[in-house]
Amino acid sequence: MSHDLDALQARIDGGGRVTADEALFLYRSAPTWWLGRMADLVRRRKHPEGIVTYIIDRNVNYTNVCVARCNFCAFYRPVGHGEGYVLGFDEIFRKIDETIALGGVQLLLQGGHNPDLPIEWYEDLFRAVKARYPSFKLHALSPPEVLHLSRTSRLPVPEVIQRLIAAGLDSIPGGGAEILVDRVRKLLNCYGKATADEWLDVMRHAHQAGLRTTATMMYGTVETDEERLEHMLRLRALQDETRGFTAFIAWSYQPEHTERGGREATGIEYLRTLALARLVLDNFDNLQASWVTQGGKVGQLSLAFGANDMGSVMIEENVVRAAGAAYCMDEVEIVRNVEDAGFVAMRRNMHYEVLGEPIFRQRDVPRQLELATAREAGDTSVPSELMNYPARSAAGKRQRAQQPPSPVA
Amino acid sequence: MIEIEINTAIAERARGGERLTAAELAELDASDVLSLGMLSDEIRRARVGDTVSYLRVLDVAAGEPLDDALSTRAASCGEVRLATPAETLAATVDLVQRVRALLGAGIRLTGFSLADVASRPWGPLEEVLAALKAAGLDAIAEAPVDLVSPDQVAAVRAVGLGLVTLSVQRLDEGRLAVLERARAVLEVNPHLTTFAPLAREQSIATPTTGYSDVRLVALARIALPEVRTIQVDWQQYGPKLAQVALTFGANHLDRVAPTDDPALGWRRASVEEVRRNIEAAGFTPVEQGPA
Repeated sequence: MSHDLDALQARIDGGGRVTADEALFLYRSAPTWWLGRMADLVRRRKHPEGIVTYIIDRNVNYTNVCVARCNFCAFYRPVGHGEGYVLGFDEIFRKIDETIALGGVQLLLQGGHNPDLPIEWYEDLFRAVKARYPSFKLHALSPPEVLHLSRTSRLPVPEVIQRLIAAGLDSIPGGGAEILVDRVRKLLNCYGKATADEWLDVMRHAHQAGLRTTATMMYGTVETDEERLEHMLRLRALQDETRGFTAFIAWSYQPEHTERGGREATGIEYLRTLALARLVLDNFDNLQASWVTQGGKVGQLSLAFGANDMGSVMIEENVVRAAGAAYCMDEVEIVRNVEDAGFVAMRRNMHYEVLGEPIFRQRDVPRQLELATAREAGDTSVPSELMNYPARSAAGKRQRAQQPPSPVA
Repeated sequence: MIEIEINTAIAERARGGERLTAAELAELDASDVLSLGMLSDEIRRARVGDTVSYLRVLDVAAGEPLDDALSTRAASCGEVRLATPAETLAATVDLVQRVRALLGAGIRLTGFSLADVASRPWGPLEEVLAALKAAGLDAIAEAPVDLVSPDQVAAVRAVGLGLVTLSVQRLDEGRLAVLERARAVLEVNPHLTTFAPLAREQSIATPTTGYSDVRLVALARIALPEVRTIQVDWQQYGPKLAQVALTFGANHLDRVAPTDDPALGWRRASVEEVRRNIEAAGFTPVEQGPA
């Protein structure tokens, strides 16, 4: 397999599409500089104004109880585990208050596949959030979570999505994609939570329902180069069909404390993967830098390798931290890095619409030197409203039998 | 073909190993970061090839027990490095002598920042350095170009000590200023061929950025053609930035931990990890010492 780099450069320059075979050649053989410069060229073409965006939102994990048992995950706890938690509505409201104080506009709300949280719990939570914070956005529930709700509620995916939208869902995050190849998903023990087709199908239904979503890729576990590319190509095909994806976010597998273990892909591999994504995903406007897995320095260098967005200030993070990465960038730090790289930093919403200049230049905002966690260590409290919902697991039923129902907040 | 977006005349002069003017370096510093990296990488490959060396260093911190365990751990290292001098010259000489006695003659013993030694009220610098050499020190670990004078650096060689590397303590004056200082030191000390451009001290509030770090590495490679070895501290800068710096002109990873330390996690760990990062960046790893 050999291709002419100059011919590929000319085609990409002219807005032409890279084939699977060519993409594989580029990933394996093109010099890193070539990939970076070409990705930068495409980024400049798509974003000639030189703006790099970011969002102020909070990454909240409403529960760590999960039946999926993905072997690359260090965050989940099985049903009945002493460290399992579900956040209460009041706890989530408090997190929203803190987010708004920092200029935040939405929650990125994701969690484990908890069998003891029926769809009504989600609907009640979303409605309660919207009642208290009407303009606050809910970027919530990755495709495997939607699928989990479809299974536990015995409702088709489109109906689940419609009910969630009616309750207040604004958009869907692209988590749980890992690598969209079933051979890989079986090895990662995430085939059961969602096959590649199921993940894509949830996104297709979401787009058809009018929602915008992101797409992600967790690479660096067991996939081959071809499978990494197949993932990108399947996303590209769905984007051709629906135009529903707002952005693509790649991050490297974080191995610490996971059942799978192993090593993390290197920084150069990240930059090459990111640059390749910019070239292959020619129908995606936005590529995020994953500073949360790569650190601030390589996160910033992502802007030279095709990224045009610094992601979220996050405020809180639990999943990647559990697997060994604990980087933090607050708004001041993100903006400093964007500007140091020669770009203009602007806040955005989930639709990548520019909201304005940095909040900290408009008013005093407290600095944040480390990301918050879902809960304080040792907090095993059980939210009272949980007793209003039927549990499916034996452990959940025992727990709820011990306390009477409470008024929903 | 991907073109380097840099003033052609400057790029040609850099490729030829010519000494660029301050204005030319300023123009390079303001250029596209990937173009700067491409030029630096090209110059580095022409000058030192595609190998990356790394050195396992056993750091000996102040107050660390000096016993047989230290000599056992040192056996796999290319160098044992003393972090800080003791309170007095006599105590520092004693420290060097004790560590040398533990190590025997076969292991390279280095230590201290020249700035630290020079700042002590211990008498003429050459006499102090001579005392350290007599005690068994092989080399001063580093000479920060922003804190020491060219003549102070020359004193190291004058007494027969080696110098592991020129370095930068802080980047307060900016990238171009520290490169000018490095040039001034090298003019007086043309025998020196190693430079660690990334600052040893970082502001907590505003640490250097990734762009700043790789620009400095690339500029050092271009601005200092007499320097063969551009170092990055593996432990301080971490695998990701250190690996990327290799593609911007660095060719040596310093202070690789001598043994796996689970407390540091794999991110700071093994030689295997270092070699994997070097190879993933497209270079060939070569370990410096032990024999």
